[in-house]
Amino acid sequence: MAERLLEVVNLNKSYGALQATKDLSFSVQKGHIHAIIGPNGAGKTTLVNQLTGDIDSDSGRIVYKEHNITQLKDYQRARLGIARSFQITHIFENLSVAENMALALFAHSGHNFRFWQKSLHSSSIRDKLPEALARVDLAARAEIPAGALSHGEKRQLEVGMALAAEPELLILDEPMAGMGPGGTVELSKLINALKGSVTILLVEHDMDVVFALADMITVMVYGEAIITATPEQVRRDTKVQTAYLGEEA
Amino acid sequence: MNQKNRKISVIAGGALLLLLLPLVAVLLEETYFISLFSRIIIYGLAAVSLDLLLGYGGMISLGHAAYVGIGAYVVGIFFYHAQEMEPIISIPFIMHGSENALLVLPLAIIISGFFALVIGSLCLRTKGMHFIMITLAFAQMIYYFFVSLEKYGGDDGLSLYSRSSLPGLDLSNDLHFYYFCLFLLIGFLFLVKRTVDSRFGLVVRGGSNNERRLKALGINIYRYKLVCFVIAGAGAGLAGGLLANQTEYISPGLMHWTLSGELMVMVLLGGLGTLFGPILGAAVFLLMEETLAMYTEHWMVFMGPFLVLVVIFAKRGLFGLLTGEQNNNG
Amino acid sequence: MLLVIEQFLNGLQLGITLFLMSAGLTLVFGIMQVINLAHGSFYMIGAYVCATVAARTGSFLLGLAAALPAAAFTGMLVEFIVLRRLYKREHLDQVLATFGLIMFFNELTRIIWGRQPLFLDVPPWLSDSLELLPGLIYPVYRLAVIGVGILVALALWYLFSRTRLGMQIRAGASNRDMISALGVNIKLLYTLVFGLGTLLAGLAGVMAGPILAVEAGMGENILILTFVVIVIGGIGSIRGAVAGALLVGLVDTLGRAFLPTLFRLIFQSATADAAAASLASMAIYILMAAILVWKPKGLFPAHS
Repeated sequence: MAERLLEVVNLNKSYGALQATKDLSFSVQKGHIHAIIGPNGAGKTTLVNQLTGDIDSDSGRIVYKEHNITQLKDYQRARLGIARSFQITHIFENLSVAENMALALFAHSGHNFRFWQKSLHSSSIRDKLPEALARVDLAARAEIPAGALSHGEKRQLEVGMALAAEPELLILDEPMAGMGPGGTVELSKLINALKGSVTILLVEHDMDVVFALADMITVMVYGEAIITATPEQVRRDTKVQTAYLGEEA
Repeated sequence: MNQKNRKISVIAGGALLLLLLPLVAVLLEETYFISLFSRIIIYGLAAVSLDLLLGYGGMISLGHAAYVGIGAYVVGIFFYHAQEMEPIISIPFIMHGSENALLVLPLAIIISGFFALVIGSLCLRTKGMHFIMITLAFAQMIYYFFVSLEKYGGDDGLSLYSRSSLPGLDLSNDLHFYYFCLFLLIGFLFLVKRTVDSRFGLVVRGGSNNERRLKALGINIYRYKLVCFVIAGAGAGLAGGLLANQTEYISPGLMHWTLSGELMVMVLLGGLGTLFGPILGAAVFLLMEETLAMYTEHWMVFMGPFLVLVVIFAKRGLFGLLTGEQNNNG
Repeated sequence: MLLVIEQFLNGLQLGITLFLMSAGLTLVFGIMQVINLAHGSFYMIGAYVCATVAARTGSFLLGLAAALPAAAFTGMLVEFIVLRRLYKREHLDQVLATFGLIMFFNELTRIIWGRQPLFLDVPPWLSDSLELLPGLIYPVYRLAVIGVGILVALALWYLFSRTRLGMQIRAGASNRDMISALGVNIKLLYTLVFGLGTLLAGLAGVMAGPILAVEAGMGENILILTFVVIVIGGIGSIRGAVAGALLVGLVDTLGRAFLPTLFRLIFQSATADAAAASLASMAIYILMAAILVWKPKGLFPAHS
């Protein structure tokens, strides 16, 4: 249980004068749901993008399964088993829902230089596709273009695609954003069901969700990690209280 | 699935029209139509290959004519050397010219594809406006290269005096040639259709839509785009090889960027990402050109504003109007 | 050595013409995010108007005075009627619509001025030659072109770094959202920038007029060179336009002038001439490819 899946050491990123992440260090245990919280502008999304390789880090080290992945490109990290959902929905709007999901499923079944067989008939995904769609409640919408989905459904697809890639480390960047109350409950259940089988790094605003689900929480303020601890410890911590109260005051 | 039926009947109708057209033309003694429609089919083939880039791959290439021209020059150069009885190269091995379509057309495809591989591998390092300008610039480079080839007529080009030979068919016969082109077009359409529906095609279409998501799924789109670029270049090379045969003439004009622009117009006019639409677009464009040119030599002064209007007001293209369907590939 | 200096000046002069073309175009690309193929048409309009007015009145200066507003006004009209509708559209739409504009303008000039090229004479007061160095005689007109180009470059530098309008334009080139946050009238600013770009294109056309033939389609040859310049320099960057234009102008001119001689030192004359001619015509594209491999966004990318 104490095995470390991800370790972040002194990570930095600045945009001009703005230091988005500052000497950020924490580690994520395998099998945990590890939440990242913090006030707006704390640099949470920057951190996620640094972890997935969407943006390059200025300095610091990212160690995943004992490999230093700091220099790897985004798609190379994804192939090592890191999947993510985006805060702002990134789906293939012009492809059908089933095709969206198929692309995510293909990620772990060999190369894509297959020119002849119809994509959705491919044996490597045919069996998994219905299940992957059903998991995020989109089985009935499989045929329509993803762009025609409702906002909530797009969020479901966004998370569903990250799940379908069967990652070892799943990074969810505000998965609940824009979902109705019902959707939030459903998604919480889904994440909870994954507990133990997938390591999840959860960036989330909804404190009820975070405290209900997380094994560990890292609190970020102005680009720095002020504490990494269990939910109870975080709840009691005075630094955290000032950070949040300070923002609200 | 009423819409699907409508689409199938539009495609079947078009195919039937192209199949029967020569017979009608012969009956009406308007054999001119056979060569006009041969041209439409060849341009249609080139436009379909460009649709693979524009409509499916999201790669706005403004240099597609270069591959048409290379294909034409491959056929032309082999023909020229066969006529002159002089080897094309003698070092490191001797390569003779040829008039055999079974040799020169596959060569046109392969060599165009090879050029697409080299140029594409450089161009695809860039995106957006850069990509548009660079594809144009490389096409222009190839244009100037052939202009400087004095041996093959330089700026003036080269007349071929006859068409390639093919066992069992007489390509010099316009009717035979027409059906030969139609056969190749149908074959190419079939291959491209399989490709865009395949797993490879799905990756390419996904990449044109949301590259960042594709990367987050662990797919490096570059290689897929490059292969798509090569397939499109090879298709254009085949069209070029046929065009050299049809007109019995090659010149750098074939790779001039205005032809690249016209191919783009055909794709958009017919319907972006519809595969069959670009053939319709080629037909309408060439027939309009033909008709307008009967009334005025300044037909472009009407075609230009027409294009602007099409772009601003008619986004779906003609194929979409006929089938009542939006493309969902772009 | 004198030949080298002479060709260097020729390259400089081509580079200056290219700079005038690319300065306006790179701004249009950078600020409006619109790819405009029809920029060469305004170059052509400038040349034609100047040639016509100069032929009627006998005064090159009057020709120039008519050509600049003609190019700027046509540009703003085109922006107002067509391009404005394309800012939010995809690049493909912009390419096709401006391709249509090229067809229209080229054919229109053929209708108005016919298919025969016009010739624009060098004005008498610039038709002398100067002995720059002992043995190096160079036409005053070409020196004047270089001088005007440098003046325009300085004026642009002043406009962009010292005036309010210039600041707004620069802000727009690097960050489009910022410009609307500043409360600038964007529509008007866009039209003005477009007009400024086409005015410079018209000026380039006028200056090239006495050196090249004035004919329909003259804009496209220079347009593609301009694209090469912008690709090399980086979209939206005036500094990049200066660097790219000089590089392209010099490489193209010096390549054409000296590659044949160089090749003849190595190969037999017949092969050498053919190979050198091919290579010289491709030199700038090879340069572009090399820079691309090194810096895919150009030498001075405006967007970070």
